[in-house]
Amino acid sequence: MIRYIFRRIGWSIFVVWLVVSAVFVLMNTLGDPAVAQLGPKAQKVQIDAFRKKHGLNQPLWKRYAQLISRLGRGDLDKSFRTDIPVTQIMEQRLPRTLFLGSLSMSIELCVGVLLGIIAAVFRRRIPDHVVMAFSWITFSVPTFLAALFALNYFAFRLGWFPVGGFGTDTWDHMRHALLPALTLAVLGAATYARVMRNELLETLHTDYVRTARAKGLSYIEVLFRHAVRTAFLPVVAIAGLQFASLASGAIITETLFGWPGMGRLAVESIYTPDYPVLLGTVIVGCVFVQFGNLLSDLALAALDPRVRVTEESA
Amino acid sequence: MKKRSSCKNPGAHLRVESMRNKRVHFVLLCSLIPFAGCPSAPEAPRYMGAGHSSPQRGGTFVFYHMDDVRSLDPHTAYDELSNIGIKLLFEGLLDYDSEAKLIPALAESLPEVSSAGLRYTFTLRPNLRFHNGRALNAEDVQWSIEKMLSPDTGSPGYNFFSLLEGLDAYRQGKQAHISGIQVLDARRIAFQLTEPDQTFLNAIAMTFAYPVPKENYLAHPNDVSRHPVGTGAFVLESWEPGVRIIFRRNPFYHQQGKPYVDRMVYWLNLSREAAVMRFRNAEIDVLHRFPRADYFFFKQSSTWKPYFKEEPEVNLWGLTMNCELFPFNNRHIRRAVSFAIRRDWWNKAKAYRLHLTGQPVPPGLLGYDENLPTQHRYDLARAKEEMRLAGFPKGIREPVTLLMANNEGSDTFGELIQEDLRAIGIPVDIRWLSFPVWMEETAKRKNAQLFLSGWSQDFPDPSDFLDILFHSRAIHDMNSENKSFYSNPTLDTLLDRARVEVNKEKRRQLYIKAQMILTEDAPWVFIWNDLKPEAWQPYVKNYHPNPVWSEFYRDVWLDLPRKANNSINKDIP
Repeated sequence: MIRYIFRRIGWSIFVVWLVVSAVFVLMNTLGDPAVAQLGPKAQKVQIDAFRKKHGLNQPLWKRYAQLISRLGRGDLDKSFRTDIPVTQIMEQRLPRTLFLGSLSMSIELCVGVLLGIIAAVFRRRIPDHVVMAFSWITFSVPTFLAALFALNYFAFRLGWFPVGGFGTDTWDHMRHALLPALTLAVLGAATYARVMRNELLETLHTDYVRTARAKGLSYIEVLFRHAVRTAFLPVVAIAGLQFASLASGAIITETLFGWPGMGRLAVESIYTPDYPVLLGTVIVGCVFVQFGNLLSDLALAALDPRVRVTEESA
Repeated sequence: MKKRSSCKNPGAHLRVESMRNKRVHFVLLCSLIPFAGCPSAPEAPRYMGAGHSSPQRGGTFVFYHMDDVRSLDPHTAYDELSNIGIKLLFEGLLDYDSEAKLIPALAESLPEVSSAGLRYTFTLRPNLRFHNGRALNAEDVQWSIEKMLSPDTGSPGYNFFSLLEGLDAYRQGKQAHISGIQVLDARRIAFQLTEPDQTFLNAIAMTFAYPVPKENYLAHPNDVSRHPVGTGAFVLESWEPGVRIIFRRNPFYHQQGKPYVDRMVYWLNLSREAAVMRFRNAEIDVLHRFPRADYFFFKQSSTWKPYFKEEPEVNLWGLTMNCELFPFNNRHIRRAVSFAIRRDWWNKAKAYRLHLTGQPVPPGLLGYDENLPTQHRYDLARAKEEMRLAGFPKGIREPVTLLMANNEGSDTFGELIQEDLRAIGIPVDIRWLSFPVWMEETAKRKNAQLFLSGWSQDFPDPSDFLDILFHSRAIHDMNSENKSFYSNPTLDTLLDRARVEVNKEKRRQLYIKAQMILTEDAPWVFIWNDLKPEAWQPYVKNYHPNPVWSEFYRDVWLDLPRKANNSINKDIP
């Protein structure tokens, strides 16, 4: 297992390097960042000074070599826009996004799995219809619309939550995170509910479940000890990817709710354009995708002995 | 069982399906119940003022922006968001009043100007102090401006002080000081120019020239922009990047009794949508840059009317034509385009949020003439006539390339240009570029044929538009400021005369003449100035949108305690 983990980490480093190189090439086709940063009124003397300061006057290969060497030392350069080290910016933004992401993920996993179980158990009855209706509606609604609706209805009109922002202390951060987390969770829970329902329905019709029932185990016991555990496997696989996507920032939700996390930072760095920050967000996103995949694989292995055996034999 | 029954009765499965559909519909309908009693949004302000007629001290004023602040260093910051904070923390020798007239700030009075207009002598007010308590003197002013103009600082402010005597020698390291800045005593300082310049005082009023304490720059050599110390009405209390900045009252502020409010909270990264809702909940005190629907709400609301203002910004937007490239090297073609733009359609497409214009000088600046006879307007017959005079009565076969930057709303403008030019037989291909690429491409000589561009004021003077956009001195092979590459010696002479003319009326006449030349030669089609709507809470007093400084809140006072409005859902006509 440890060998497997190390192999995956090595593979992840290779993927991150590949992505960094691709983004570096892409960034250099998007125009001169000095011109973009200094605006239409900048004189040549200022543009030259900016280029010199940020090493943009050097040949491309040299800049690439410097970038890789800096990344090797864990240095993500300084923001073009604010001159603050990118690592310092990440230190501020990443915990906020992780906080929002884990809150929303906890809610969506609990709610989604529970709804999926209810829908499967009460198949073709009212609870199933309610869950499926909820799932259809949330699937059809674009994120920005759901976020705007949540802001307008629950925060502005009903006053149950603060209208966007981040808050001032831990309790206040929690209060401010709740509505964006719920908005993300509602959309995510629909996926989990559908997957869980379908998997559970399939599992409930398998031979081993029928055998367990024939042996005299109660329906609840069979459901939770055998069927749910098996049906949970695809949910774990999806959760791994979902974690990666939430950790790299829910761009629309963070922007609309004014949550100063990674998603919002990515948008700012694209529009500014602030290439060191953009590269930083891409690297963090990439690392989390790799990490999320690894985590879900490990969780699958822990839940399903067949996966573990296969990996070990491999 | 079901199968059997359906075999006996072929319609049974349809009935079962229909029952299921009814159930689904019932469930869907039930899910809407929580939203049936949707509470309405407040139509009127939630709170009114206490009713005081004279300024009150105390309270916290809350404002916001959709983006993040880059820097609070007045020497290097050159963006609107940063300047909003800088204006609270720093002050210059001169400032602007609500009529955009220069007034003394740290200076005791407007400067003495020598008869030749080359020497400006300022006297500082007595007892001026930085936030750290140290007294400000003339040497601080000298050090600050020299620091800003040093090549190491790379300040964008350099452009505005280029006529200072001895500046080049100082920048080349030949002299330790700028000979054109002379400290006469602790409170008096003089500036010597190489030639007269009517905009020098505007340059002195810019944030780049704000005095800063040397010791602060030495203490924070790499991150002084995060540790601002000035002489302004407020002191930086805390700054959480990307979230908020808090300012508190400066106890050493030189204006007795000011500022009025104890604290200012500047929320950052607040989306427009969230900002409107917070404003209507009275959680923030001012509102600007409304989403479209909210803009109409505030514009039409009678209860918000006294607290809503909409004025044209001092900027200019138009269609730039490259006078060195075909077909726009033909004056008649440029004139044809200027008559072909349907400004009303453009305004409709932009929800009537444009102030339409037909001349280069924006409203409010010297030389703007509402009745300028040659100003650009829509006249399709004239446009076609100009095409005939150009020698292309049936239009041009080869499409013209329009360069557009990928900005918010620019797609609409691209389509509008295509449509309007098609009517006079000029086919247009749109090329979309990222903003930095667009900037580079449009500023290169003999490169971009046609593009939409704009310019906003650095200071309220027509020279800030005309000299930069149309003087042949501003043409460069790369990074050209004059992007239409229009060159006219008659216009150059007029602009040079206007720049040094002391008599205001004569200066105005010169700029009107320059405007007439430009509208007739049409290197640009002058189309609009942005409109800036702003709203504020009824308990916010003494807020007058400033014609020079965006969102300038320094002098507001709060009429506290605010009183709950009992009729918030009535928009009384």
